[in-house]
Amino acid sequence: MGPILIHIAFAACIISSLFYWISATGRKNMLKISRPAYIVMAVFTISSASFLLYNILTHQFQYTYIWNHSSTKEPLNLLIATFYAGQEGSFHLWALWMSIIGIFLMSYTSKHERYEAEVMGTFTLLQAFILFILIVKSPYTYVWESFAGDVAEGFIPPEGRGLNPLLQNFWMTIHPPILFVGFSAMSVPFCFAVAALIKNKYDRWVNIALPWTLFAAGVLGLGIMLGGYWAYGVLGWGGYWAWDPVENSSLVPWITSIAAIHLMISSRVTKGFIKSTLFLCIISYVLVLYSTFLTRSGVLGDASVHSFVDPGQEVYLFLIIFLSLFAVVGIGLIIFRFKSINSEISSLKQESSPILSRESALFIGAITLCASALVVLAGTSWPIFAKGSVEADFYNKMNLPIAILISFINGASILLKWKHTEEKNFMKSLVVPFVLASVLTGLFAFMGMRDFLIALLALSALFAFFINAETAYVISRRSKIKTGAYLAHIGFAVLLLGVIGSSRYSQEENLSLPIGQTVEALGYRMTYLGATPIPDDPEKYHFNVKVERDGKEMMLKPVMYYSDYSEGVMKNPDIVNLIVRDLYLSPMALEVPEEFSAEDVDSIVKGSVKNIKGLDIHFVNFNMDEFKRDELSSGAAQTIGADLEINENGVRTPVTVKIRYSGDGVPEFIPVKYKDNIELYLVKISVSQEPQIQLAVVDRTRKMNSPDAITSETLILTASVKPLINLVWGGTVIIVIGFALSVINRVKKSKAAASDEEV
Amino acid sequence: MKKIRYIAGTVIILVFLTIGFFSFIDSKVEYANFSYASNTHRKCQVKGTWLKDKETRYDAANNQFIFHMRDENNHEMKVILDGAEPNNFRMAESIVAKGKVKGDHFHATEVLTKCPSKYEGDSEDLKKSNL
Repeated sequence: MGPILIHIAFAACIISSLFYWISATGRKNMLKISRPAYIVMAVFTISSASFLLYNILTHQFQYTYIWNHSSTKEPLNLLIATFYAGQEGSFHLWALWMSIIGIFLMSYTSKHERYEAEVMGTFTLLQAFILFILIVKSPYTYVWESFAGDVAEGFIPPEGRGLNPLLQNFWMTIHPPILFVGFSAMSVPFCFAVAALIKNKYDRWVNIALPWTLFAAGVLGLGIMLGGYWAYGVLGWGGYWAWDPVENSSLVPWITSIAAIHLMISSRVTKGFIKSTLFLCIISYVLVLYSTFLTRSGVLGDASVHSFVDPGQEVYLFLIIFLSLFAVVGIGLIIFRFKSINSEISSLKQESSPILSRESALFIGAITLCASALVVLAGTSWPIFAKGSVEADFYNKMNLPIAILISFINGASILLKWKHTEEKNFMKSLVVPFVLASVLTGLFAFMGMRDFLIALLALSALFAFFINAETAYVISRRSKIKTGAYLAHIGFAVLLLGVIGSSRYSQEENLSLPIGQTVEALGYRMTYLGATPIPDDPEKYHFNVKVERDGKEMMLKPVMYYSDYSEGVMKNPDIVNLIVRDLYLSPMALEVPEEFSAEDVDSIVKGSVKNIKGLDIHFVNFNMDEFKRDELSSGAAQTIGADLEINENGVRTPVTVKIRYSGDGVPEFIPVKYKDNIELYLVKISVSQEPQIQLAVVDRTRKMNSPDAITSETLILTASVKPLINLVWGGTVIIVIGFALSVINRVKKSKAAASDEEV
Repeated sequence: MKKIRYIAGTVIILVFLTIGFFSFIDSKVEYANFSYASNTHRKCQVKGTWLKDKETRYDAANNQFIFHMRDENNHEMKVILDGAEPNNFRMAESIVAKGKVKGDHFHATEVLTKCPSKYEGDSEDLKKSNL
């Protein structure tokens, strides 16, 4: 049934698009077909999504996708996350969000009727492409179709493979959906730009598209930062941002959309910047598609930690076509309309803007943002064009001066007025925030901030902070809702200060914590108290570390466990948030004392005597007392022994050593004590040719004294202190609130504009 | 006055392109095999496979993970990675080590693991579930 739902949705989408374009030619009554067709598309897309979710929740493992990404053991939230854990499902999530956003977009544009046909016509085309991917790469493929010949038709695997343990956490349930809302919403400014170009009218589209662009950028930004928090708090990457290609590729369209927003605001007031605004709106969505291409096609396979690998040739090819088509159409349209846009600008604008004006500052700010986007884009795309990759440091080095410039421009642009600013007044208004910022930066320098560029970044961020804070305060007394932009700027400045603290001034140390022993590091006293199984999840272990500072005691519990899925140890950090800093404990390994090492092992032939570590050891015979011959084929555990006689200075002592093999053949070595300091282990028996045993003789007194030996269970971890990291999260929250207020404010304004239109 | 704005914009882009170009040359990591990496002082990334049968251990005292790797030209080398065993190391189909050759070993600052076969189940997995 699933594929049928998608096929119908696809057909309805094409019909809707077709009739929207017909109605764009002036036959308005065609909207009577295109609108219901859209609703049909949306209903069927939503139905298919519900159907897929239903199949996941009821464990229909006959579908390859569901078998691949879920199992009966997963809790509800992770089962839901299965929906978008793989390629096919994440495209379905995208299609789902598109169809829902489109309903709002249709209702919104129908109030600005002049734009509905072109905007929705473009939007449905974008949606058609995503639905087409779902047809080509269907989440509804049966296992016997995916593995034709390997399993019989109608075969239902009793259990699925389960979700990748890296994805098994709370953030998996919210980060991808939010990111995909951002991706989907970014299509709306693209559609408005294309609509404006096709209509060849550039006076009003910016007003109508602005709230959507703000929404898209706000949500995308939130999604990106949630990913950062995931990496920081759960995956134990040590930081929230690693300049990984997957992170970068979603950051680039975010930056360009921010540049687009600033030019849109400028363009609304001055009637200029039309081409740049159109270009940025178009390129932002193209970059979203490019991001999908980078992360889905596997082209970055060797450069990224979390690229999807090998999606199949057809999707790879299709994404390139999808991407280039929309890039060529969008940018081609701008070139095609170049002349008429220029004449429109000269007719609309009374005068050109002086350099000391807000619009000029915004334009330069937008260019600087684009420079940053270009840097990240170039570095991220590099592995496609040449074999190799770019170090994370490249992005840090490049973006540092850009961030400084952007912060200064941000602060200054708020003080500048549209069109014309008195130079004297402007200079005067700079004084107070600049002095405040300088004093604080001086204080930072006094506290140890010695790096010039870092200090400059702090200065610029503080400068922007004070100017925006003052403006926000003044405006909030008139209207709280209008403070959105300033709040977002404050948030960004706060975020930058957090970045400086948490990355430039983070301290890190590798620690070995023997159980029960207190180790001092980074100003904390840490004691490893042992591992305990996690109550709800007994296969995972908490490694309890008591942390003390200034008489306060905390318990941190980083996690390590063996995952069958990954065939390796998975590790999760634990963090204690101390308001001005985080203490971050990232587990590395657990070392347990070795029973014996290779050099302790000797072989003895049956019946012979060998002198090992001063003891004459006689291997008398095998001891098969506990060997159960009749259970040999049943796979039960077996124990084999060897009778020895130890002759020390004429005193003979009989000793029996044993080795136990589990059903899978894994040996378990059983220590046998001889006197206080000697331990004997039966390591191996061989009965072919000459019957002999491998025997380990360990002198514990000697072991203790050797420098490398670990004598007790030891937790190895990387401890780090991240100052001011709360400013990163706090800044993000402020930015998101700022965006939310701006969206509300702009929606109100565009509604007012719409009612003006009707009058 | 409009011209000034465009000039300012162009200058910013040009300045960044120039700085960008040089710092790019500086920080790009080339693909290489062990024999190439032995003859350069630059940081390289080498793709290859982990040698299961050779020494593979974690050195707790130095927080280093030590293993042996065979590159695509069948050259084998000891690799010392700063840090613990990477996620998914043992299930990886291939690995990419980034770093420099130092004497007899490759000193890696980062090891990426690639596990195509496991993110998507194969027919072997499916048959297992049939038991």
